[in-house]
Amino acid sequence: MEIIDITIKDLKRVFKDIFSLVMMFAAPLLIAGLLYFAFGGLTKGDVTYKMPETKVVIANLDQPAAPGFAAGEMMVEFLQDSSLQDILAVSLASDESSARAAVDSRKAGVAIIIPPDFTEAAISPDRTAAVSIYQDPTLTIGPSVVSELVNHFMDAFSGSKIAAQTATGMLSSRGVQVSEDVAGQIAQSYAAWQQSSRHEEKKAIPDMVIVSPAGEVQASVQKAVPIGLIVAGMITLFVFFIAGYGAESIIREDEEGTLGRLFTTPISQAFILSGKFLAVVVTLCIQIALLLLVSALIFGISWGNPVTVILVSSGLIVAAAGFGIMLMSFIKNSRQTGPVMGGVMTLLGMLGGLFSVAIPNLPSSVDKITLVTPHGWAMQGWKLALAGSSPIQAILPVFVLFLMGFAFLAIGVILFRRRFA
Amino acid sequence: MQNGTAIQVQDLKKNFGNFAAVRGVNFEVQAGQIFSLLGPNGAGKSTTISMLAGLLQPSGGDARIHGHSICQELQAVKASLGVVPQDVALYPDLSARENLEFWGKMYGLRGGTLARRVDEVLEIIGLTDRQKGKVGTFSGGMKRRVNIGAALVHRPKVIIMDEPTVGIDPQSRRNILDSVKELNRKGMTVLYTTHYMEEAQELSDQIAIMDQGKVIACGTHAELVRIVGELDRIDLTLASESHVLIETWYKTPGVHSLTPQDGQVTLLVEDSNLVLPRLFDAASQSQARITSVNIFEPNLEAVFLHLTGKALRN
Repeated sequence: MEIIDITIKDLKRVFKDIFSLVMMFAAPLLIAGLLYFAFGGLTKGDVTYKMPETKVVIANLDQPAAPGFAAGEMMVEFLQDSSLQDILAVSLASDESSARAAVDSRKAGVAIIIPPDFTEAAISPDRTAAVSIYQDPTLTIGPSVVSELVNHFMDAFSGSKIAAQTATGMLSSRGVQVSEDVAGQIAQSYAAWQQSSRHEEKKAIPDMVIVSPAGEVQASVQKAVPIGLIVAGMITLFVFFIAGYGAESIIREDEEGTLGRLFTTPISQAFILSGKFLAVVVTLCIQIALLLLVSALIFGISWGNPVTVILVSSGLIVAAAGFGIMLMSFIKNSRQTGPVMGGVMTLLGMLGGLFSVAIPNLPSSVDKITLVTPHGWAMQGWKLALAGSSPIQAILPVFVLFLMGFAFLAIGVILFRRRFA
Repeated sequence: MQNGTAIQVQDLKKNFGNFAAVRGVNFEVQAGQIFSLLGPNGAGKSTTISMLAGLLQPSGGDARIHGHSICQELQAVKASLGVVPQDVALYPDLSARENLEFWGKMYGLRGGTLARRVDEVLEIIGLTDRQKGKVGTFSGGMKRRVNIGAALVHRPKVIIMDEPTVGIDPQSRRNILDSVKELNRKGMTVLYTTHYMEEAQELSDQIAIMDQGKVIACGTHAELVRIVGELDRIDLTLASESHVLIETWYKTPGVHSLTPQDGQVTLLVEDSNLVLPRLFDAASQSQARITSVNIFEPNLEAVFLHLTGKALRN
């Protein structure tokens, strides 16, 4: 019963402390929210990133020598294609100066000027086809996308030239002489085929999607949404912090003299430490439960199978509480706790990958490094939970977290008992 | 153990490495007494009571509290004790009532019994009106009173108080001394440590004087004073130190002992009326100026000076 009394007393102190409350609830949600918005998340739990529309004005001055094949017109059609409607708003200008004026007056973000000899240059083996792109210098993403699309289109003409040269060479080696007109027709045919096949390809391209940086975890894990991972990272970081802060109460009580006074009561040292450990565990339970609930409401995160979530949370709580007790057992006084805890928790958070969850396509080796820390295993657990994995699928990280937690706790208890012997 | 003996300390020792903090202490406290351990800082008083309270394990010897050995029955010893630490040991962010309730629970009190005891203690320490105030917001004296109250909630048979008046204002000190007397009147045995001679003199039925880890004298105030016989104590302050004068005073007939310290000279003399003129003559011949003179009846300070050759205040 006295264990519970010690636990209740510690809980009262924790929940009366403004600093604890801020670090427990406000900080993780605030930082997760900031990271989320910094990485472009603007809608609740949405994984699709909608690019802002770029206004493009095209001055198509191309004048093909012969009717039938007009490269400039093909480029205009390519950029006006319905598949690009969401990201490009294309309009036409009668001449180069009005196209440039549209950009200068910020009515358009990008101007494309197609020169009069564009078709000629595109099909001639000896000439290079080029268009001018004039952009608003204050814009970055939109002009880059337009530039990429134009390059993409121009690649087709490079391919047509190569096709014409290859065909001419092969026919020449068999004694057939190919005229310039025929070579031009071959190039036109290839370009036309290339552009039409591109159309088909484009129709199959889905909206632009940012996928989670799940690395080499199981395939199912890669479905996890980034805001969920960011919040999971912050929950893990601050759960470890609060565990350390809770365990620091042993040091504070030692300095306040209340620990010594507790030792004059008939309660054994083991019971006193157990009561304090239990207080840390209960604090973390409340912290995680509220953070999961509030983050689900604010960010629309679906945390997955409740049993899996409970298992992962339990593993995290045991690991964090054990780690907190162990860390504090090395600390001599409360003046050391700030720098030591800040340093250790930040370092382990970084090693554990808590700050890099939102960075896509990290090398798989990074994921392996994270597993030297309990934080890394906790994130593995969260990734599985967010991906909707069953409790059985999440058993490995949970088991490792429990194992680490009990090992940390054993070390901490041994060191504390030695100190207070 | 005899009937009526609350505390019996036998050859109690404590070493910290090569340093012997307590060197075979013996004393006995009868039930219902106020027993003071008097001595300067570092005399071994706190170490002795830390062993009795179960905070330190003795290096040798034993002590029994109401028949329970501190070496073999520590839990029973702890249950019968109330300990008031030297520094305030409370939770500053909890209220006075919450603190008292918590310490009561640590001794197994629950429910209505606990609530009644807490009310009683709040009454004793005079903080019923401030029971809901956070201890961290209290004055030093109020904190000290709660600190004492926390040791009383479970109605211990013996209360150990380690210098409870250190660093507080005279009014709070008076309040605490009155509380100690009141507790004693209610039948509680009090083991009190102090380096203030006046407190030991005012409170105690028995006093043990400690120095350098040993009890150098033990008895009632009257018994201890008899150790120095009829010697008077004279404190003289000189305008400037004079080794020649001090040597002359030391050799003056009637001077029993002499201790110079920080410009002040403390002498134990057989008859102050006879000796004082001789001391003034010697000062006059040495051209030294005496700036103050105080004559005291025999007291514990004189006893300590007599036994150790140094002043208790040091």
